[in-house]
Amino acid sequence: MKRAFGMFVCEMVFIVLMVAPLVAADPIKVGIVDCYTGPPSTYTNDVRDAFQLAVDKINAKGGVLGRKIEFTTRDSKFKVDLGLSAAKELIMREKVNLLMGTINSAEALAISDLCKTEKIPLLVTFSKSDAITGEKGHRYVFSMNENTSMAGKAAAVALSKKPYTKYWIGGDDYEYGHAIADGVWQNLKKLKPDVELLGQTWWKVGESDFTPFITAMISAKPDAVIIATGGKNCVPFLKAAETTGFNKRVPFYMHTATELSTLQPLGMDAPEGVLGTSNYFFYYPDSPENKEFVKEFQQAFGRPPKVGALYGYITAAFIAKAYEKAGTIDTEKFIDALEGMTVDSPVGKLTIRPYDHQVMLPMFMGVTQKSPGYDFLIASDIITISGEDVMPTIEEIKKSRGQ
Amino acid sequence: MHGFISQISLPSLLQQILVGLSRTTILFIVASGLSLVLGVLRIPNLAHGSFYMIGAFLTYSVAAAVGGKAGFWVAMVAAPIGVALISLVMERGLFCHLYDREHLMLLLFTFSFTLVFGDLVKIIWGSDFRSVSIPPVFQGSLSIFGLPLPRYNLFLLVIGPLVALGLWILTQKTKIGKIARAAAVDREMVGAVGINVSLVFSAVFVIGCFLAGLGGALVAPTQNITQGMDHSIIMEAFLIVIVGGLGNIWGALLGALIFGLTDAVGILLWPQFAIVFPYAVVVTILMFRPRGLLKSTW
Repeated sequence: MKRAFGMFVCEMVFIVLMVAPLVAADPIKVGIVDCYTGPPSTYTNDVRDAFQLAVDKINAKGGVLGRKIEFTTRDSKFKVDLGLSAAKELIMREKVNLLMGTINSAEALAISDLCKTEKIPLLVTFSKSDAITGEKGHRYVFSMNENTSMAGKAAAVALSKKPYTKYWIGGDDYEYGHAIADGVWQNLKKLKPDVELLGQTWWKVGESDFTPFITAMISAKPDAVIIATGGKNCVPFLKAAETTGFNKRVPFYMHTATELSTLQPLGMDAPEGVLGTSNYFFYYPDSPENKEFVKEFQQAFGRPPKVGALYGYITAAFIAKAYEKAGTIDTEKFIDALEGMTVDSPVGKLTIRPYDHQVMLPMFMGVTQKSPGYDFLIASDIITISGEDVMPTIEEIKKSRGQ
Repeated sequence: MHGFISQISLPSLLQQILVGLSRTTILFIVASGLSLVLGVLRIPNLAHGSFYMIGAFLTYSVAAAVGGKAGFWVAMVAAPIGVALISLVMERGLFCHLYDREHLMLLLFTFSFTLVFGDLVKIIWGSDFRSVSIPPVFQGSLSIFGLPLPRYNLFLLVIGPLVALGLWILTQKTKIGKIARAAAVDREMVGAVGINVSLVFSAVFVIGCFLAGLGGALVAPTQNITQGMDHSIIMEAFLIVIVGGLGNIWGALLGALIFGLTDAVGILLWPQFAIVFPYAVVVTILMFRPRGLLKSTW
């Protein structure tokens, strides 16, 4: 009896000793604030799911610095105030080490402001305003996706090589629409000074029927049109473009026209020959890394990854590698480590530019085309424009920050 | 941009009006259903937009399940009926117990249903965008005055007057229509002469929601079927109903025409501020006729 008790004590001591280091190493806590309600969730679900996929892999290998990475999500319903209060709650109550999200640019900027004062890193996933790492950039904010000035520059390079001079701009009447239109137009004017803007059409976000807008643009007889529409508007726009034969009369560029989230729902009803740009396709680049990623994602969630999956995946990769390099969970050392860091990704090696904390993502430009083996259109004739070529210069960033 | 207005030709204006008229069709079908329920039952049904959304999603599912060329037509019939059935359950299970409550209460009640239906749609159909193909007969465009007019819009131009005619027959020529009109004016009196008002209300509610479902089904091939469809349509539908005169079906027709046409023409004349155009017209009308253009039943 006495001996059994002694064994028990020994065992307990042993167990405590074994468990102690695990208990001492608190997990690294990541808070995700994003919109998981309504149409934007078709993009944000992919960010979250790919992040989870990557984090599970990291944790299975023992985590980072002997700590597991944990994350918790908050639905901000595309509202700035909800997003901001969720971010506050995650920082104050959940004591997260860092934040990530959102798809709403205004919300990302608001949370970025908060993170600046709270000294909590914010890794932005999906918000495309170039102000995030440009004008309003600071030490604690990073962008894991392309932005309107990168897309604008890529498009301008391609359009400047075409013979068009008379342009029309049509877009969503909100931050993203105007920013992307400005991005393309300002860069295009620099590259080809003789371009002329005949006029502009602005429709509301969530516009459902684009036929009257398209017929009005056709009657203005431009050489080409820049369509600055995003999110759920892309689908009905391409649909109306196909029915009216818009792109056969007037060629047009639309930033996310080639993305899976736009083309898959349309099936064979999408128009061919539309020029678009994107950061990621599950079928391109045709590399072993990408194939592996697609396979894992497909197995885990039963669908091919969309562009958001790339953002979620690289965010996890950057977080893990930066903590590993910093060797501590100290925020300042984490940020120092993240600046200039390079990780492997499904689209090749990606680096964070130290000055503005922008991931230098390559842009894939292609045209929509029917392709055997797919029951929807895919991007073809893809040209890769490297991250360095589409990034705004550091001088431009300094200028926008008034330095 | 300068001198653009002078470039607008008569053909492009006429063409724009045709496009606007087909858009009016959808607005009229949805708004007339809303107006019917508003006029007879006195329910400001905010969930009307949800029925429109469900109609579109059902069209997608039925068309995908049946497949082929027949899919679209089966869906066109099945989706509005499906919506009507849902509304029947809702009316018999809930609303028929609430007719005596005040309007604010009913408003909040229907609002809560927009949230419930919104979440249900999210649970059932998920967050991906959906699209229904236009049937082959209506694919592509006709060239009118050298500008494209989608064939499907022509189809809508035929459907619109048919629905209006059907509604006219229903309200003016059938017994249930007559009772409904009487009940709209004086509910107690209709009850006093021995008519089961509750059943008439039920029928009107179901017809109103059927129209919302029909609107959703008709619009499905032209746009992105997604969450949030309910919000955009319900605002426009209420505006149309208010401009036309609350509860007046012909007011809904007039309102839809004004809204649809000013929208389409505004896009041509004033493309940079196209969003404002129809709303500015609505505000102007309401300044002079705050109770709407036609006689309100309220």
